[in-house]
Amino acid sequence: MISAIYNFALTTGANRVIRGARIEHVCGDPTLSPEKDYAFGMRIVTAALETLTVAVPGPTLFDPMAPGKEAAHAS
Amino acid sequence: MSGPLRVVHYLNQFFGGIGGEEQADVGVTARAGSVGPGRLLEKALGDDARIEATLIGGDNFVNDRAEEASRAIAVELDRLRPDVLVAGPAFGSGRYGLACELVCKVARERGVPAITAMHPENPGASGARRGLYVVPTGASTTSMPAALEALAPLARRLGRGETLGLAEVDGYMPRGSRRVHDRGRPGYQRALDMLLDKLHGRAYRSEVPYAAPERVAPASPIADLARARIAMVTTGGLVRKGNPDRQVSANAVRYHRHTVSELESLSPKEWEAYHAGYFNHLVNSNPNYILPLSFLRDLERQGKVGRVHEHIYALPGVSTPVAVAAGHGRNIAQDLKAARVDGALLVAT
Repeated sequence: MISAIYNFALTTGANRVIRGARIEHVCGDPTLSPEKDYAFGMRIVTAALETLTVAVPGPTLFDPMAPGKEAAHAS
Repeated sequence: MSGPLRVVHYLNQFFGGIGGEEQADVGVTARAGSVGPGRLLEKALGDDARIEATLIGGDNFVNDRAEEASRAIAVELDRLRPDVLVAGPAFGSGRYGLACELVCKVARERGVPAITAMHPENPGASGARRGLYVVPTGASTTSMPAALEALAPLARRLGRGETLGLAEVDGYMPRGSRRVHDRGRPGYQRALDMLLDKLHGRAYRSEVPYAAPERVAPASPIADLARARIAMVTTGGLVRKGNPDRQVSANAVRYHRHTVSELESLSPKEWEAYHAGYFNHLVNSNPNYILPLSFLRDLERQGKVGRVHEHIYALPGVSTPVAVAAGHGRNIAQDLKAARVDGALLVAT
């Protein structure tokens, strides 16, 4: 699940949660130039696809905007 | 009220003595009197109650052909006109539990009070949230005596036209309905007492019940994205431009499935957002923000994703009761599974 309000997704039991940009533009950012907007959206979507290839123990946050790539667990 | 209480009991093919799994497709039949666990139920109900008839249905039949089964049960109930219907107990058996839920629903529609019993995690137990009386039991038949003991007095009261008391007092699963009553002391006093109890480490009970969200086992990982079929779902209220399907902007009772097999991207000329829970204007200029088709098409072309599924699913995810939303989710998931989709991206606004 890609969501900007990722805490809701985690506490209500979604298992693979990807942090989206903002509620009004989850996969991208219209304040950026079209190229950067697209690259940003692509980073979120690619991160989301990658979560489908890893096992998770339960609700887990993946943050494409974090400097490292480590995942944070809800608990 | 005069005369003994007239009860109709519902059992599946196994408890009804027809047979096991190989008989799960048998239709609904009625037998006079009590059958199997019905004899124990009758004893628990006491002297002034009797099981007039037992309805027996195959678990597969009742679940797979629910309309036909409902009609058959309705016909029997109209013929028998019992004071109360008792279904189960179904314990942890999922199909049986769902059948009991259906039978209770049919009875209620026909003005017959109904009650069932099963393990709280049985899928049929979610009927409690839709107003059915469900008595919690253990997961296996070893808890039969305790289950009947708990079920019988409630069935008697419902059959005599009584309204049951609070769920926590009478021992059935909360139905999510509220009744106005006087707790005797004003809220601030009760709240302060609770706070004091909490501060002193004493036991206290909140008056605001917490409904823990359902836990779903995580799906196992996809081995190879380059060979996977990926679908997209959005709760961002995506609709075709002008909303020709007349979707609502909140509390959606249905979702829409659209075909995108011919599309490279979602154009703002053809798609927009209709969602009462956020500012839709930005999505209206680029609907791919809530349904990332343009990105997935690029990844598909680059061979990073096997195939983009031809259907997308959309609804506005706002102000929807959890039970309704769970139903939408189940139906979409079933559809995706049937289409052999390997993974799905759900964009939630």
